[in-house]
Amino acid sequence: MRKATLEGMLWLLFLSVSGFQAAAAAAAASEEKHTLMEGQTLTVIRHVSIWKYANSRKAWQRLLDGGKPLTLAVTERPSGTITRVQVGRYFLEDEPSEAVLRVQMTNLQVEDSGLYRCVILHASKEPDILSLPIRLVVTRDPSGPLVSDKTSTQDVPQVSTHPPTTILTWHKFPTSPRTMTLTQLLPKTTTSISTLGGTGITTGRELTRTSVISIAFAVVCGLLSKSLVFTILLVITQRSFGS
Amino acid sequence: MPGLCALVAWALLVLLRPGEAGEKSACCGPVVPRREWRALASECSQRLDLPVRYVVVSHTAGSACNTPALCLKQAQNVQNYHARTLGWCDVGYNFLIGEDGLVYEGRGWDIKGDHAGPTWNPMSIGISFMGNYMERSPPPRAIRALESLLACGVARGALNPNYELKGHRDVQQTLSPGDQLYEIIRSLPHYRE
Repeated sequence: MRKATLEGMLWLLFLSVSGFQAAAAAAAASEEKHTLMEGQTLTVIRHVSIWKYANSRKAWQRLLDGGKPLTLAVTERPSGTITRVQVGRYFLEDEPSEAVLRVQMTNLQVEDSGLYRCVILHASKEPDILSLPIRLVVTRDPSGPLVSDKTSTQDVPQVSTHPPTTILTWHKFPTSPRTMTLTQLLPKTTTSISTLGGTGITTGRELTRTSVISIAFAVVCGLLSKSLVFTILLVITQRSFGS
Repeated sequence: MPGLCALVAWALLVLLRPGEAGEKSACCGPVVPRREWRALASECSQRLDLPVRYVVVSHTAGSACNTPALCLKQAQNVQNYHARTLGWCDVGYNFLIGEDGLVYEGRGWDIKGDHAGPTWNPMSIGISFMGNYMERSPPPRAIRALESLLACGVARGALNPNYELKGHRDVQQTLSPGDQLYEIIRSLPHYRE
């Protein structure tokens, strides 16, 4: 009887762990994840069929809780080579002749974190969704080490209570390079980084360094979680043999 | 008791997942390397930011070839046209596929191609079928070669697992990859309009 319940527990553990892993993988696959820090710019490029949507209106929407879409910015019917629209911090650039829609969200705030998507708006039917939705995660920046990199005269307490002022200072001192913890998946990451102050930092090397760090971190996390499960299994089996 | 041991062993096998890395290179099918088709040296230096999210399929609109000997010559012809006549740094495509069912290495996975304009070249891999596919279709072995190449790209980390397949005419004003080949790639799983 004891062995039966023990087997049952082990099965449950095994299934739940593999279930979690599968679910996590599936969730990751159905969204395009972008992780950025406050003040940075999100740049998204989406393919727009050169023949089908050359005369359509495009929109940038946020998906609220419950899946309801909120239209943040929408372009007019294309005229000329590039059609641009700006709504607050949202910039849309529709270039039908190049078959792309470019979206930028500047000066990101933590509240911007959420799910977004690019769509083709139709007059009297549901919109066509362009590619995968974008999962944006905006993290608060750790103020201490970054401020010391700058040739800024602001002291630390001021930074922590007035984040917008710090962001302005960054733009005034474009020459000091900093390591950024970017984990963007888009290929055009260099464009978004250079918009922070036209620095032309050698982002390629910094990205490989930070991606190596994040890969190492993920590997360590994976190893730790798996060894934890292994230890639990070992304890359970030893107990069953002991009794 | 033996059932319990088997269960623990199975659980450990699933959780620890040994030997995952070894799968990567084993997945890739044969590609005719540059040396084998006697390619001119490449002068290209611009690299791609991998993994890439798009693959653009085109056709050369030139002569087709259905044997390895003919396709080898045709790959050279395409490179001569691009590198010598048009003055590009190398053949424009990342890979070429012949009706012999073989994949020919062009610029490869790492170097930016010249196949779909300045907006799409830096963010896509360009694969071109040697031939004109407006009226004719490439044989199934050529389509298999494409599918194998795409799977290889994902396995190597050059293509994002959620990559999108596009026809050349979806991203530029052109007839490429030809009506017949376009219909075929529209039926492939990663194609997105």
